[in-house]
Parts: sequence; structure tokens; C-alpha cells
Amino acid sequence: MASKILKIAPLEAQNQIELSLRQALELLEPQLRPPFPLTIPTPEEYSQLNWAILYGVLCEPHFAKIQIKYLHAVVTDGYCFFVNLLTTIVDELYSKLVKSARIQLISLVSEMIYVSAVGIDGLLASLLRQIVGGDFSDGNLWLCFELVSLFLCKWNWLVEEEPQVLRNGLHTYLRVLSDHCRFSGDSKLEALRRIEIEFCIKVLREQFHLCLRIGRDLIRLLQDLVHVPEFRAVWKDLVLNPGEFKTQEFEDISQLYRQRTSSRYFLLRITPEMESQLRFLLTHVKLGSQKRHQAWFLRKFLSGSERETLIIDIVRFICCGHHPSNDIIQSDVIPRWAVIGWLLKSCRKSYVEANVKLALFYDWLFFDERIDNIMNVEPAMLLMVNSIPKYVAMTHTLLEFLLLLVDNFDSERKDIIVKGVASSFGMLARKGVVGSIHVLTSCDALSPPHKEWLGRCFESWSFYRIAASPSS
Amino acid sequence: MVTLKDMVPAAQNNINTQFIILDKGKTTLAGDYKKCLALVADETAAVHFELWGDECDVFDGGDIISLVDGIFSYNRKNLVLRAGKKGKVEKVGEFCMAFVETPNMSEIRWIPDPNNPKKYVQDAVISPYSLIFPPVP
Repeated sequence: MASKILKIAPLEAQNQIELSLRQALELLEPQLRPPFPLTIPTPEEYSQLNWAILYGVLCEPHFAKIQIKYLHAVVTDGYCFFVNLLTTIVDELYSKLVKSARIQLISLVSEMIYVSAVGIDGLLASLLRQIVGGDFSDGNLWLCFELVSLFLCKWNWLVEEEPQVLRNGLHTYLRVLSDHCRFSGDSKLEALRRIEIEFCIKVLREQFHLCLRIGRDLIRLLQDLVHVPEFRAVWKDLVLNPGEFKTQEFEDISQLYRQRTSSRYFLLRITPEMESQLRFLLTHVKLGSQKRHQAWFLRKFLSGSERETLIIDIVRFICCGHHPSNDIIQSDVIPRWAVIGWLLKSCRKSYVEANVKLALFYDWLFFDERIDNIMNVEPAMLLMVNSIPKYVAMTHTLLEFLLLLVDNFDSERKDIIVKGVASSFGMLARKGVVGSIHVLTSCDALSPPHKEWLGRCFESWSFYRIAASPSS
Repeated sequence: MVTLKDMVPAAQNNINTQFIILDKGKTTLAGDYKKCLALVADETAAVHFELWGDECDVFDGGDIISLVDGIFSYNRKNLVLRAGKKGKVEKVGEFCMAFVETPNMSEIRWIPDPNNPKKYVQDAVISPYSLIFPPVP
């Protein structure tokens, strides 16, 4: 049976959610036109009513106004059930929704903001997750435009009621701007770029105290936009005039370095479907048998050269958003470092590769064992160590990059970064993630300057001496 | 529901199972119909699946398929799983299925059971892996 709201391929199983929605509408359609029944619905009837109204709005735009009015009349739970249903549809079906249903969905979201519906923050987060890095399709750009317009339109509500949504929005739009600003000649992107910049600058300049909570990834995202005049000005102020942000507690950029970014932001940048596939790969697929799953993943999410920037988000997620249990780590399931190695090798563009390496090492730069998690830094270490000797070029390129980072990331605050990197190495050695750093410093294929730098790094922090005896 | 390793060739539409498509061969024309051979697998075994008509275009590697009333039998000299005229296939998901590529049920020689000639039993392994779709190194 053809679907009214979904793009269904031939021979695809009927979607269960859509089936329930359609059945509810078929059952209750007569009730959804005036005169409306005045009886109070039972809980079961209430659910059915929500399903029917939602489906009706999504597939019959001309009746939507009446049906929404009815929802407003019968609601008893602050729209919680309705919004949860909408969120489920976004998480599981957004990519399959036809254009008209997506348009209706956005108008429903706007309506739910208007009534301050319970769970609206979750719904908006789910929608932001559907904005995909590296995706320049009309559908994705349309969603970017609709959501940022909504945020600007509902600015006061966001500031007063939903600061986390504001943070989520800033994180998302700084990220996609890095894609959208890369192709400055494209007129299709011009209007979108302008409004996205307007939103981000407004958040940064007017609500900086809210931005602080994002933590160190805010810096990583801003650095990629330094070539854009509005952001260059923000950057200058961050580094030289922190007072410009009129936030009492913000005195120096290093405060942002020291704030770990919550894993919620790394989830924001991948869709639920990518998340399930990545988690499946890292939980159920054995090392040695991963080739077919990897090929399918590449074909589905990374085909097309402009798509590559998504790899940066995926690596950030793997390091900080997916921490396997000890059982999995000790089993023969493909480890995170191997998946990251594969993703790194899939990069064709050098600026993407550099950003992926930065994503991999980012938490090393400011590692503080009191607040940081060793699981965020473990994959980089294991990738370096396990690439010796067969793929030692990988170890070499990673160490070289790390060295470059330490020297150039923030030359004014190099001491913080050296301390961070040394703490990472030290903790990794102490916790037995590697036998000792000796495995790196004694590797013949590494250049003497690299080995010397490593040696100096540890001596200055004594971790080299604390580390266990060298592995073979 | 039967797992792939428990299938036995029979001239009956008695196979209800679920599997993931690993690889697809070229589509050829058999009279008026399109057909194409695929390597499919579940957690227990792999087998060659013969896709017919629209199935050839619509399904691809990574698709998880549900088969109802399928048939596992000799089609010319090939032992294949297929929907057949009475069976139905449907895509029910993607990616999230672990699988093995050995044993391959199509690469096994079957002989009639000496005790019950109407049934087949395994006689010998022709090849542990598919000879048509070798494992990806």
C-alpha cells in the first residue's frame, strides 16, 4: 500500500509506526471535524487521538489547522505524548518522510514551541541530529534553513526557557558553517550562510555565558571559521579581549580548554541511524571480519567527495561518545582504534585528514585526570602503538601531527598543552593501556627528533619513570 | 523460523528465515525475467540466494531480508535459496546483523538419506566458502 508520508521502496516491509498512525486516523477521522465530541477521552482513547491528529496533520495540510485546534482542546499532559511521538518519528523516519510531511512537521514544531510543550527540547535536539555534516543536498540545506530561521524567530523563548537548545543550535550551526563557508562561490548557500552566521554571532555576542558550558569543542569549531570576518572578530576578542563578552566568570580562553565537552554534543552531529550502525560495528563485528560492514557504511554515509567532513564528527563520537565495556574490549570485536584507522585512511582531502587527526587528539591537549576520561584518549594511543611495525607510517604521521599541535595550537599557552599531552601519556601508561611509552620511544622506524621530543616530554613530568617496564 | 545452517534441500516452500545480503552478482536475463545471484548469510551460515525480477534492482549489500515460504532446492545444477512463486521477500532493515561466511549451504554435496530417500542429508563439503563470492580479504 502506498504511503502518504513516507518514501517506501518496492519490496520494503510496511513500517509499523506508520501503520499504527494510519489505523488511528482511519478509526477516528469522523471525530476530527467539528462538532467535536465533548467527552473526556480515556488514556487509551487519548493516545489514539494523538496518533490520529499527528497523522492527519502530516498528510492532510488543508485540515491541519482544525486538527491542531482539537489537539489544543483535548490536551491533558502538556503535549508530552504528542511531542514524544513526534520525536520518535523524527528519530526513526525523518530520512524517509516526503517533502510535504517534512514541511508539516516543521509547522508542528513551531506550534509546539508556541505552547511550550513538554519535551520540546528533545524534539529540537532530534531535529538538529538530522542536519548532517558534509551533506549539501537540497533536503539537508532546507532543514538547516528552517531550523535556524525558527531559532531566530523564537529567540526570546530560547534564551528564557531553553538555553540547552541554544547551545545545541550553536554547536550545530558552527559545525555546518565550516562546510558552507568552504564553497564561497555558491549562491545557493549565500542566503543560508548569512542567516547561520547571524544566529551564531548573536548567540556568541549576546549569550556568551551560556556558551561556556559547551566547553573546549567550541574552540575547535570556531578555529575552523577564523577565515570568516565575523568569526575572526570573535576569535580576536576571545584571545585578546575576553571582557568584550561581558561575562564575569570568563577571563581567559584557557577556561574553555579546561571544560570537557559533554558527549551529548558528539551525539548531536550524527544521525540515530549512523549511531546504531557505528555502535553495532563496535559491539558485534569481529576484527578481521569488518570489511563488508565498513564498505556498506562508506557507501551509505560517505559516498561523494564533499561528504568527507562527516568523518571528523564520527571520530569525535567514537572517541568521546562510545565507550565499550571491558568485556567488549577484551573480546575479538573490532576495537575503536581500528575503526578510526580505517576512517583516517578513507580521507582524500588533506584538510579533512588534518581535522580528523585534531578530532582524535583533541582531548589530549588539555587532559586533566581529575575531569577527563581516559577512554577519550585511549583510541589515539592504541592506533599509534598497534600500527607498529606493519603500518608504522600511521604512527609516524600521528606523532608528527601531535608534535605540530603542541607547538602551534596555542603558542601563548603552550605550557597547558604540553602538560595535557604529558598527562595523557602518563595516565595511559599508568592504567596499563600500553605497557609503557617505551614502545614508542624505542621504535626504530620513528625519527630521532620524534623520539627525543617524547623523551623530553616525559622526563619533565616524570611519567616516563613511573611507567611499567618496557614491552617487547 | 529456521537458521540457514539448519536448512535442508527440498522441493517445498518451507523456508521461513531472515538474512543479510553480503554481495550481489550481475543481473542476467532468463527468458523474460531478470535474475541475479547473491551471497546471503546469518549468524550460523551463508548460502546463495537467487533474486528474481524487481528483487535484483531493489536489494543491495547490507540489506536485511525476511523470507517467507521460500524454497531451498536445485535450480538447474545450482543449489540455491529463493522466494519462488509462492514465497515472499521483504527488506526489514539494514546493516545490524552479524554473519558468518562459512559453512556455505550451497557449497555442500547432499545425498538422499539412506533411511528415508525423500529426505536429503549432508554428504561432503564442496567448499567451506562460496566459490562464486570469495570472502573479502
